Amino acid sequence: MTKRAGNDPARPEPTLAADPVPSTADRIPPTRRGFLRAAAPALLAVGAAPVGAATAWAQDASDVEMLERLLALEHRLESAYEAALRRDAIEPRLGATLRDQEREHVDGLEKALSGYGRRAPRATVPPPELGDALADRDSFARFALDLEAETVHAYVDATAALRHPGLRQPLGAIMANEAQHEVALRESLGESLLSV
Amino acid sequence: MGAAAAVALASCGGGDPPPRSGPGPGSGAGLLNSILAFEHAVVAAYDAIAELLQGDGLHYAREIQARERNHVQMLQELLRGLGATPAPGRTHAEYARSFPVLDSPDAALHFAEDVEERLVRNYLEALAKLPDTDLRRPLAEIVAEEGADLAVIHVLRDEPAAPTAFVTGTL
Repeated sequence: MTKRAGNDPARPEPTLAADPVPSTADRIPPTRRGFLRAAAPALLAVGAAPVGAATAWAQDASDVEMLERLLALEHRLESAYEAALRRDAIEPRLGATLRDQEREHVDGLEKALSGYGRRAPRATVPPPELGDALADRDSFARFALDLEAETVHAYVDATAALRHPGLRQPLGAIMANEAQHEVALRESLGESLLSV
Repeated sequence: MGAAAAVALASCGGGDPPPRSGPGPGSGAGLLNSILAFEHAVVAAYDAIAELLQGDGLHYAREIQARERNHVQMLQELLRGLGATPAPGRTHAEYARSFPVLDSPDAALHFAEDVEERLVRNYLEALAKLPDTDLRRPLAEIVAEEGADLAVIHVLRDEPAAPTAFVTGTL
């Protein structure tokens, strides 16, 4: 059986000094600092639970590969919101909120990857459609909605397939936030808040 | 009201012991049945919530209630797939006795927010515990929907749709 990167059972589990391992969601606080303190041990621990079937990429991917893909998607969102803010293609308060929350997700995922002894991959090249999307606020909101939907889908895949059970809960918390971003973007468009 | 409301709601659904069913410990059936019991209560709660709302609030309360009904069906199908007996719901009157007193649209939306937070929390806990990928995937899809539903309630309360970067469901 091929040993996958990031799932070496012989590797000692890295932990954060002074951070007790949370056992239930009761201990997960709603703030960023609190979340990272509570989730870091789980994000940093290396698991080896059996893998099941999910969608194609998640099915064969290791936990590390899934985290790297999610990180790339988060970087793409962060860059998009940053570009939109510079070009006034999003209402400033909303844009700053969404960008900052993507940064918090990036921080969390980078911590998780560091727990596997992996350095975070560099940011990806912005998609070519971004240039056109920055023409006006409605265009950008629709573009961002597509990115957010793709990211939510990737989190669904990953959250289902991750071998490490302690990672599923914090990644699920990020996924729910990305779904909230979709609502915020639809609100900015004056459209129905929920997708059909 | 806050957490107390959701606790009250839990006492009329989510706190029920799961019914005796086929699959053994570790299958996830007990966990899914606990969530199902709470979802039954949530569907009833949205009737009480909707009674106090008009316009957009009423529209979205009914839309979210329909999504919760879909979640009930999904959970029932998952349980049957495990060979388990899905937890039955109670009567509306039984649920209603356990709801907090709702005397204004604001109280109704506050209750809805509590309910949605608890749903997110329940599903996130289940994601960590369920042993099977094929069980976790539909629950992950539901988590995303519950996050969106919570965002809609935030908007109806004139709050930001996404107030924090991590939706933990912490009450």
